[in-house]
This record gives sequence, structure tokens and C-alpha cells, in this order.
Amino acid sequence: MEAAANVVVRLVDVTKRFGEHTVVDGVSAEVCKGEVLAIVGPSGAGKSTLLRCVNLLEQPDEGRITVGGHEVDASRPLARGELAALRRHAGMVFQAFNLFPHMTVLENISFAQTRVLDLSRDEADRRSGELLERVGLADKADVYPLRCSGGQQQRAAIARALALEPQVMLFDEPTSALDPELGLEVLTVMRQLANDGMTMIVVTHEMNFAKNVADEVAVMADAKLIERGSPREVLEQPTHPRTQAFLRAVLER
Amino acid sequence: MDPFLTILSGLPTTIALSVLALAIGALVGLPLMLARRARILLIRVPARTAIDILRAVPPIVWLFIIFFGLAETGVQLSPFVAAVVGLGAISAGYLAEVYRGGLMAVDKGQWEAGQALGLPTRDTYRYVLAPQAWRAALPAAATYAIGLIKDTAIAYTIGVNEVLFEANHEAQLGTASPLAILAFAGLLYAILSVAVGVASRRLDRRLQLVVAR
Repeated sequence: MEAAANVVVRLVDVTKRFGEHTVVDGVSAEVCKGEVLAIVGPSGAGKSTLLRCVNLLEQPDEGRITVGGHEVDASRPLARGELAALRRHAGMVFQAFNLFPHMTVLENISFAQTRVLDLSRDEADRRSGELLERVGLADKADVYPLRCSGGQQQRAAIARALALEPQVMLFDEPTSALDPELGLEVLTVMRQLANDGMTMIVVTHEMNFAKNVADEVAVMADAKLIERGSPREVLEQPTHPRTQAFLRAVLER
Repeated sequence: MDPFLTILSGLPTTIALSVLALAIGALVGLPLMLARRARILLIRVPARTAIDILRAVPPIVWLFIIFFGLAETGVQLSPFVAAVVGLGAISAGYLAEVYRGGLMAVDKGQWEAGQALGLPTRDTYRYVLAPQAWRAALPAAATYAIGLIKDTAIAYTIGVNEVLFEANHEAQLGTASPLAILAFAGLLYAILSVAVGVASRRLDRRLQLVVAR
């Protein structure tokens, strides 16, 4: 068992409803420092909503959420300060990149540093430059996002999130909007991040990534976390019939 | 004095009326839009009602109320001030909705990205949403501005000596052909309107180029 101090993200009985519809149903999970958790499962199972509950982009109806030692009771209204404190520890990468189109790639990465970390513009730009180097985009610093390929935009978005030095990175289907080739460059950056010891939660349909990079795979279906274990256990010897059906469908494609 | 020069002498007033009313509308429209979007009912509903009423009553009726109506309560504004106040208030109502449309046109992911980065709400509005909303709102704002320029002619009815006022005066004096005089007045409004349209298209293209460079 990992020591409690090593837990970066802890979800306890997180439930989220949209009207009558329960999208996330009493999910509990822990992610330890340096661990990569892949969440897989059929579309509409609640994977993205669960991920968005972690940094409270969706406010759960019930449950407790801890990110980087900051715990909130999600069942009551949260103050802005509380939200910011929790989000401060979690970096998020969206399916649609969501870069700021009116800022250059460098500005995209520097902006939040000057506002959230209170760094000077020069210091922020210097750090942004290093991050761009790290994701292989040093030559795109002064380009506007819409002039970049999807893969480049997503790598810039990863750099933007990393710039705030989060304790965990949340990836919401980061390659779903990309063709296989561009997806690969994003996955390569993500694999590098994992090797560097970043704690990551990745909602994905990329089974190879789950198999080869994730330390643990969780399967979500019908709003519940139905199975969790090492990639080998879950992807090769699934015990839950719903997981078996899902994996069969994935493999037959 | 040449009748056409006299009409031209009304042009600065028409321009001043347009610019001041638009400036008031642009400034007051912003808090009005924010109030309209407020989560608190007691702020949102009055704002929405104000916007609806400002837009629902014809401009000429507003100007009559402000100029003639208020006089009864002892508030006697000059024709020019009454026209600026009236057209400015109406503009605030329209521009609040134009701003709101611009904000709604910005992808929801932009707000979420700001939130996820932990940006203060203020900063997200000011540096992330506003520049994009402005870009989306520009065509509608320009269309409104063009409409406003033409609406300033209504100020003639409360005695503001703008272009139409002077033209009508000259036409009544018979200093030149009424047709020529009124057509000249129309031409002046058209020139102003077209100028705004061209400026808006240029600005629009420039904003587009910045993003796509």
C-alpha cells in the first residue's frame, strides 16, 4: 500500500447528476504520485464528466475531492477561492485544445504564469520557451494557434498546463480530435511526461497508450467504475462482463 | 449663405450626436450586459426589463419624453443634450445585447480553459473572453452604429440643428430646389454610414489577420 502522503488525487463517492440522469455514480478512486491512470470505457459512460469533476469544472452533487492535499466537500457550494486553490494543483488538457486564439503560442503559455504565479513577463516567457522546447515546439513560439496543426496545438496546450507546475495532469481524450499521425506526436509527449514522473489521469480511447504507458487502467461503464487494475489484468484478463464486451468491440474495430 | 453650405454646417452636430450617443451606449452597455448576465435575480431582471423597454419604445417617443415630458417635472434639457441622453440610453440597450451576443459566440472551451488554469474570473473575462467577444460583436455593433447615425435625424423634431434640421429649413425658405436640398442631406447621411461600414470591414479583416497570421 502507498502511504497516504503519496496520494495526489482522491475521490470519495463522487456523484454527478444532470437533472434526472446520473452521469457519475458514487465513484471513488486514488491516484498516487507519479502514477498514470488511464480511464477507458464506452462513450457516454461518464469518463469525461468524472475527469471534469476532479478539477471541479463540473461540480459534483455528492462526494469529497482531494487534489494535491487540498480537500473539498463537493456537495456544498464552493467559493471561488476554494475552486482556484484546488485547480491550482491540476493541469487540464482538453479534447479541443482550447488554446486562446488571439494570443501567440508563447503568450498562451506565459499568460497564466503572469496572472496566477505572479511571474514577470520576462520570467514567464523564459519558462515558456523551455516548455516549448520540451514539447518540440520551440519554432512555433510566435505563431498564432490557428496556424498550427492540431497536434502542435495540443502540445502547446500541454505546455500551457505544465507551466503552472501542477501536481497532476488531467487529459480529456487528448487525441480524439486528431488524425493518427498527429495523435502520435501528442502521445509521445505524454509518454515523455509519464517517464519524467508526472502524475496523470488520462481519459482515452487509445488502448495502446493505456496498455504501454498507464500504470493502472480503470474501466467506466454506465456511470460507474466497474473495474480497475494493471493494464495487463484489465485489458487482457478482464473479469467484468461489461469490460469484456467493451474490449471485444474495441479489438474488432 | 449658400444653402448647401448651411446644410453642411449641420454635419458636425450630426456627427457629435452620433459619436456621443454611441460612446454613452458603449460605456453604459457594458455594465448593463453584465447585470443582464448576473446570477442574482434582483440584478438580472431589472437589467433585462430596462433593455427591453429601451428597445421597445420608438426613439422619437424617447426624445419627446426626455425633452418635452421631463420639462414638466422641471428638468429642462437643451435639445442637443436631450438627444444625446435619449439616443445614448437606447444605444446602451442595444449594445448590451450586442455585447451579450458576442460573449455567447465565444467557445465555451475558452471559459473552461481559463477556469482550469485557475485564472481569476476578472482576468478570464478581460483578457480571454472580451477580445474574442469583441471580434464576434463587431459586425453587429457596426450595423447598430449605422442605424444610430440615421436615427440622429430624429433629433430634428426636438429642434437640434443637425443636417436634416438645416435642410428642412432651407427647403422651406426655398433657397434652392427642395429635391436637391433633401437629396444632399440624404447623401451626407449615406456618406457617414458607408464610412462606418467600410471602417468596420477593415477592422474586422485586421482582427482576422492577427489571429490567422
